[in-house]
Amino acid sequence: MTAKQRGIWVFGDYRNYFQNRVTLQLLSRAKDLAKKIDAEVCAVVFGYKTDEWRGDVLSYNPTFCGVVGEYIAHGADKVYLADDPRLAAYSMETYTLLMERLVKREKPGIILIGATAFGREFAPRLAKRLGTGLTADCIGLDINSEGLLVQIAPSFGGNLVAEIVTPERRPQMATVRPGTFQEIPHDYVRTGEVVKVPLPKSLPGDRVRLVRSEHRPQRDQKLEDAKVVVCGGRGMGSKKKFVKLFELAELLGGEVGATRPVVYADWADHDALVGQAGKHVRPQILFSFGISGAIQHTAACNDAKFIIAVNKNPNAAMMKRADVAIVADASQICNSLIQELKRRIR
Amino acid sequence: MLKLIVCIKQVPMVSELPWDPATGTLQRDLAEGMMNPACRSALDAALRIKETVGGEITAITMGPPMAEEILREAIALGADRGVLLTDRKMAGADTSVTSHTLARAIEKACPGFDLILCGFSTSDSETAQVGPQLAEELDIPGVAYVDELKMAGRKVRMQRFSDNFLETLEMDLPGLVTVTTRRYAPRHAPLGGLQAAFAEADIVSLDAAAVGLDPEQIGAKGSATKILNVYSPTARKKNIVLTGAPKRIVEQLFERFDDKIGGAIGKDLKTERK
Amino acid sequence: MDFNPCMKHKVVRKAVRMFAEAELAPIAHDIDRDARFPWEVMEKMRPLHFFGLQAPKAYGGAEMDTISYAIVIEEISRVSAAVGLCLTVHNSVGIYPIVRFGTEEQKNRFLPAMTRGERIGAFCLTEANAGSDAGGVETIAVRDGRDYVINGTKIFVTNGGVCGTALIFAITDTQNPQRSAGVFIVEKDNPGFAVGEIEDLCGMRANPVSSLFLEDCRVPETNLLGRSGDGIKIGLATLDAGRIGIAAQALGLAQAAFEDSVRYSKERQQFRKPISSFQTIQNYLADMATEIDAGRLLLYRACAVKDAGRPFGAEAAMAKLYCSELATRVTNLAVQIHGGYGYSKEYDVERYFRDAKVTEIYEGTSEVQRMVISRAVLARRT
Repeated sequence: MTAKQRGIWVFGDYRNYFQNRVTLQLLSRAKDLAKKIDAEVCAVVFGYKTDEWRGDVLSYNPTFCGVVGEYIAHGADKVYLADDPRLAAYSMETYTLLMERLVKREKPGIILIGATAFGREFAPRLAKRLGTGLTADCIGLDINSEGLLVQIAPSFGGNLVAEIVTPERRPQMATVRPGTFQEIPHDYVRTGEVVKVPLPKSLPGDRVRLVRSEHRPQRDQKLEDAKVVVCGGRGMGSKKKFVKLFELAELLGGEVGATRPVVYADWADHDALVGQAGKHVRPQILFSFGISGAIQHTAACNDAKFIIAVNKNPNAAMMKRADVAIVADASQICNSLIQELKRRIR
Repeated sequence: MLKLIVCIKQVPMVSELPWDPATGTLQRDLAEGMMNPACRSALDAALRIKETVGGEITAITMGPPMAEEILREAIALGADRGVLLTDRKMAGADTSVTSHTLARAIEKACPGFDLILCGFSTSDSETAQVGPQLAEELDIPGVAYVDELKMAGRKVRMQRFSDNFLETLEMDLPGLVTVTTRRYAPRHAPLGGLQAAFAEADIVSLDAAAVGLDPEQIGAKGSATKILNVYSPTARKKNIVLTGAPKRIVEQLFERFDDKIGGAIGKDLKTERK
Repeated sequence: MDFNPCMKHKVVRKAVRMFAEAELAPIAHDIDRDARFPWEVMEKMRPLHFFGLQAPKAYGGAEMDTISYAIVIEEISRVSAAVGLCLTVHNSVGIYPIVRFGTEEQKNRFLPAMTRGERIGAFCLTEANAGSDAGGVETIAVRDGRDYVINGTKIFVTNGGVCGTALIFAITDTQNPQRSAGVFIVEKDNPGFAVGEIEDLCGMRANPVSSLFLEDCRVPETNLLGRSGDGIKIGLATLDAGRIGIAAQALGLAQAAFEDSVRYSKERQQFRKPISSFQTIQNYLADMATEIDAGRLLLYRACAVKDAGRPFGAEAAMAKLYCSELATRVTNLAVQIHGGYGYSKEYDVERYFRDAKVTEIYEGTSEVQRMVISRAVLARRT
């Protein structure tokens, strides 16, 4: 098998570029994996005039040199590029067909796709089209002694972790959530090959048509994507005291979540509900104020990397699950934290 | 008359499933089952279509015999009939195989369907793959993560929020949608409906042979992926307890974790010791 | 004899539990603290047939079997016994007597609004001088043309503060109280009907228990259930049915207290071990589990006998007696297991403890239940 056949491909999901750097993160991980099996790392880009594509990236990154350039600078050895006006907007049916043709021609060993909304729909369709297996939302990827891609994914609300392989079918496919891997710093000295992908003369008529698309940039940062979440429960005492959590969250650059009783008591909007019937959060740090920890709630914040819980009752379920359990009045701690943060953040 | 199909799944009622460390398998039979919340939303979406433009709803599920419970519930909520796909040989299927099994069963039990509705993901496996793969298997268009949908003649108009784009889409029938829980709230089953669903209901049970499935292509046998290992992710958390006066507690918190918190919020929280 | 719950009963239990956890659990503590009747939850219950659980479909009911009914009451009571109480009184002693003894005209007139939950039912028997001694009732209904005029005061009426349709137990002939008793259906908008102050009670606080005043309250004779003189018969049959509901309610309370105790004893550590590893606590939990199971079996047996169309008075009395007494024992133990925290309103067990006591008192005190059971036992041919 040649390096090409051991190719690790990453789908270039560029339309949310700066907010969502998952493609860059995957390229970086692909590079590490590629070393273990001597494979080449390729990015696949379908679009129109992608080298002119800017989005609002320049406001963040003045050295941005176009999608293809960025992918090479972040680890791609090769970029397969299909550039055509018919690809100006993402299209599930067209992209699936193009990818299918490309894969059948080039036969990569592994395809990684970022678990964006598009990726999570695209990957299963593609896997089915190619007759291969797919593991969703991997929290880790590795290569084992047999050279197989080990797909590490959570199951059952994050309480268990599974290691999965695709022993026979090819390519091996996985989707990975943004933020799982770290991107390598861009290296503009790197060079790579750009391979133009021709389109068939006629594309299948789209049975799904995009009627309207409005870009709603991430100023309303979703609770689910927040790196810091401040959750409050009935232990906060009253609506007036609960509302202080918003001040704390703002200092921390995070979002406020609430439990069901709090939403019912109208201390917070239904949008803030963190629970089985509400939102699932995956922050780096979760502050849990005055929450006893009903299963419906804890199941939705199990993925938090570090939990600081505050409750008068040391035996509350949330306190037992926390990395730091503070036995005190939730509202008082909230106020003290606000004061202390104001002091420390200049 | 619109022929609607709702694919529903029975998932464990609690997120903390008892797991047998000896065999590495889940003790699924110990946990009670319930209809997956997103599937309830899909059913709600279908019921709204039935209520506005009319239609006939078939609820279909693949699972152990116990999964009949959610079909009865679906009928109590307003579905017209139920199809239970149950067979030991179907166990252990990955999403691709599940979609294959469902597809064949749909062709057998409800040919000429117009729209298939699925929940966007299940609370136990959370892959969100079966919907798109089912559409692919049936070679019909599909749109996932739909927040809201309306029928417009032989087309479906949908709205969804996809990666920071608010999209309005249109799809030709026959097609498939996966539905989020944003707009379609799961309904509670009316008790009179449950009573009737158990007294008399059109529920048909199909095994692999009845659907005409090849045993080599279903269940664990047909699955492309293999689980090597399942384990509990982290060792017990250290669980540090802080008590005392609020000010003192906060001081301690920052003494030990200022870098951790600072790292998460992207700010330097160290102060000069006075 | 199959002791496994059938699929229907499992599904009903889960459906009601999910409803109760989603809609009632978040407010259960606060409605007790504020003695507030949760209208917003009632609104959600109405389309789901909670107000017409066993009523025939023809009148808008769900026509459930009695075990399913008991499960519904148990699951609601597990989260809020006060709301469970509202439902069981409405269904068992509000709707049931009309279904069993009413004419077609009466059923059509009164039931639909009740099964829709637009009018909540109440059965009014107790008076200042008539508790266990129903013979002491003084509320009098005097014939006047084609009407009856009712005067009297009923106390401790469950659902009194919110009832739309009240069943009033009154006598029509002071010389002959036993033989002349009747049950009159009086709707709240009827002139001469007034609701008194809501009682300030130890438990079941979210249920608006109140007095009802009937002052020259005129109702047509077509509001008399059955015939004049049927009162005792209707009252007894109604209480039999009511007892099944109360048993289910008490069971729900006990179940909640038990579950909380198991969870707490696994979490709470003393002497560096969870308290569930101590034999004393284990014994408590074993006793609780056994009693609750026994109560449940007694209850379902009473339900089965009722559904089979056989007399079920003794069985219902046994279920009510046993379940109410086990509720006070279990909730008492639950507070004990929780220690100091059990005495605090931060935890739910003190509410279960307060709520449980009255199950031994209303719908026939435990002493009355023993009377009923001993009479049945002594009457049986051995």
